[in-house]
Amino acid sequence: MSAAQIEQDNSMASSKWLDAHYDPVANLYTFSSCMALADLHGDGESKLVVGDLGTGTNNMKLRVYHGTGLLSENTLLDLPTGLVSFLMDQHEPRTPAIAVASGPFIYVYKNLRPYFKFTLPSLEINALEQDVWIQARQDMIDTMSLKEMLEGIRDKAEIPLSVRSLRFLMLEPQDMEAFVNLHKEQPLRRQTVITCIGTLNKNMADEDAVSCLVIGTENKDVFILDPEAFTILSKMSLPSVPTMMDVTGQFDVEFRITVACRNGNIYILRRDSLQPKYCIELSAHPVGLVRMGKNVVVGCAQETLQGYTQKGKKLWTVYLPAPVTTMGVMDLPTRGFQAVLVALASCEVHVYRDKNLVSTIKTPDVVTSICFGRYGREDGTLIMTTKGGGLIVKILKRTAVFEDRDSAPGPPLAQSIRLNVPKKTKLYVDQTMRERENAVAMHRAFQMDLSRLRLAAARAYVKALESSLAPMSASITEPLKMNAVVQGLGPSFKLTLNIQNTAASRPVMNLAVCFLFDEGLYSMRTAFFKIPLLVPGLNYPIDTFVECLSDKGISDIIKVFVLREGKSAPLLTAHINMPVSEGLPLN
Amino acid sequence: MGLFDKLAGWLGLKKKEVNVLCLGLDNSGKTTIINQLKPSNAQAQDIVPTIGFSIEKFKTSRDSLSFTVFDMSGQGRYRNLWEHYYKEGQAIIFVIDSSDKLRMVVAKEELDTLFSHPDIKHRRIPILFFANKMDLKEALSSVKVSQLLCLENIKDKPWHICASNAIKGEGLQEGVDWLQDQIRTMRT
Repeated sequence: MSAAQIEQDNSMASSKWLDAHYDPVANLYTFSSCMALADLHGDGESKLVVGDLGTGTNNMKLRVYHGTGLLSENTLLDLPTGLVSFLMDQHEPRTPAIAVASGPFIYVYKNLRPYFKFTLPSLEINALEQDVWIQARQDMIDTMSLKEMLEGIRDKAEIPLSVRSLRFLMLEPQDMEAFVNLHKEQPLRRQTVITCIGTLNKNMADEDAVSCLVIGTENKDVFILDPEAFTILSKMSLPSVPTMMDVTGQFDVEFRITVACRNGNIYILRRDSLQPKYCIELSAHPVGLVRMGKNVVVGCAQETLQGYTQKGKKLWTVYLPAPVTTMGVMDLPTRGFQAVLVALASCEVHVYRDKNLVSTIKTPDVVTSICFGRYGREDGTLIMTTKGGGLIVKILKRTAVFEDRDSAPGPPLAQSIRLNVPKKTKLYVDQTMRERENAVAMHRAFQMDLSRLRLAAARAYVKALESSLAPMSASITEPLKMNAVVQGLGPSFKLTLNIQNTAASRPVMNLAVCFLFDEGLYSMRTAFFKIPLLVPGLNYPIDTFVECLSDKGISDIIKVFVLREGKSAPLLTAHINMPVSEGLPLN
Repeated sequence: MGLFDKLAGWLGLKKKEVNVLCLGLDNSGKTTIINQLKPSNAQAQDIVPTIGFSIEKFKTSRDSLSFTVFDMSGQGRYRNLWEHYYKEGQAIIFVIDSSDKLRMVVAKEELDTLFSHPDIKHRRIPILFFANKMDLKEALSSVKVSQLLCLENIKDKPWHICASNAIKGEGLQEGVDWLQDQIRTMRT
């Protein structure tokens, strides 16, 4: 393959997506759970429906986009926690309804007009709390004693307090009176809120089948609602509060609800079981949950992506370069392609097919919500919103091909090729048997040899120190350090000895330097000279010149001895490996 | 072409036949445009999405050119059929839905694929662009469409863009006239 061709392939690979639209100031703040694509008008053109969170306290909107423009906008009363589109009935034209979960309510819109409001059933109220509020209504107790009694109930009661009591306990003392007067006439209610929402086909597997709403609540329950009457068809409980869910199957036949919970576990509910059937205990909290065929893919807070079977068996783990912000599924049934979209905090979206990274999309901002499907008339459209409120629309190229192998750098392909390992010979088996039987003796022999080796090394070292063969003096009276530098190309070399007295305060005197060399090979102007007094800490460079006499390109070692006057044993020794003389001697 | 054919052509005895490819994304109005160009007694009332392709023949009113139009389906799954007809095509009509801003990139991508195809790349083949659906209020002007499709980069082929409204038939004749002129100049 030529270089140009490789380049072309790379550019092809990097541009699997067409940039259809980018509006950095779309002012759209949302999460993946509040985004849906639906053919709202039955005209074959899918619209984007978004539950916009606004600023988090106000400006919540239900927005519908068509093409590059906004089609409609409805104000929402409270923060949306989830948004799904679903078919309620068999009537023609088959236009889907939009369900927006918010607080304890589900607002159902048909043709973008409010159609129905479902309210979660209220929960049992603590009897003591009820009594206390009745007394407050009859003005039998003052606000301070009301506060004390409610605090007492909060601390030990089995049934938790209602929102009204909890809010009352949060108030400053001066606001309490007004709050009690405002609320005491109304009957006490305890309600939970919806945390996540999904859809489940009623009795047909088709894409355009009537589907039930599935909701998870703060009270650790999962409800399945009838699509037309909005009555509760089934109720299941979980050990923790659900945060994300994925639903598959049909209500009347068999279904499976995969729920990620706030305790960091994933539970799998099935038809005819009020309790979870399987449990996946994750090492870190789940950030995104996606089902791929029969497997569950979870993005964890620990920067990992994990695959599990539907029975909770772990299949694989992928380590990601940055924390996950959101996840989505990329399903192209016409091409038989399914992949997981993982948005990362590093302004990237990774496309994983099983554990293989097949594509990477760079985004101008951190993606907070992601959605893939048919938008307008284009089947492979990727819609993302960013942290800064931007809207990005990308269209998958018709010619884009995702390669199956991993594009991320990893172990080379050769590593997974099986080696042709020869069969076990009798000798090999005998050796293995011997090793197995005599393991202790062999280990001991090895340890013995190792100790001997260490001893021999230590002895050689001590000998070197004793005979001052090292360039460091070990004697206490003359602690010296020396190193030598050879300069020049030859035949004359400059030899510089750097001598340093490493003692704390004592100077050293009466030292001499002597060189030992092959006189046939080298000549030295002064092979012996005295060293002046060495002041501690300072570096004394001593220069001398060496002449190489040979023109045969050979070199030798020059030994340097530092001696003390009147003593024949050197204080330290250095061996200088002379370089080969590159020049010819002058005759 | 034999000598007799040429002679017949000069004498105007033989009708000149031209194969025209009609390309463009789905729902851009290709079939509607072809339908409008047909004689009024042969026009269909209902236009449905084309499956695969359909062949239409009609004569232009001004002179004796006979058009054989390959009306290709614009749906994504049939777009890979286009390239099989590039060889036969002597002219191309490329229809763009000028109200679909989102898919302008897709149209550009298909156009780039068309121009890089070996059967088209080195031929001086006239290309007529219809910026269709001009009647819609969100429609882009033909100038804007040619900017978005980077038509100014086409150097080696004669091209022309005209705004059209295929339902009413506005702007179609202007484009077809241009195409006829081009074909005639190419033949002589």
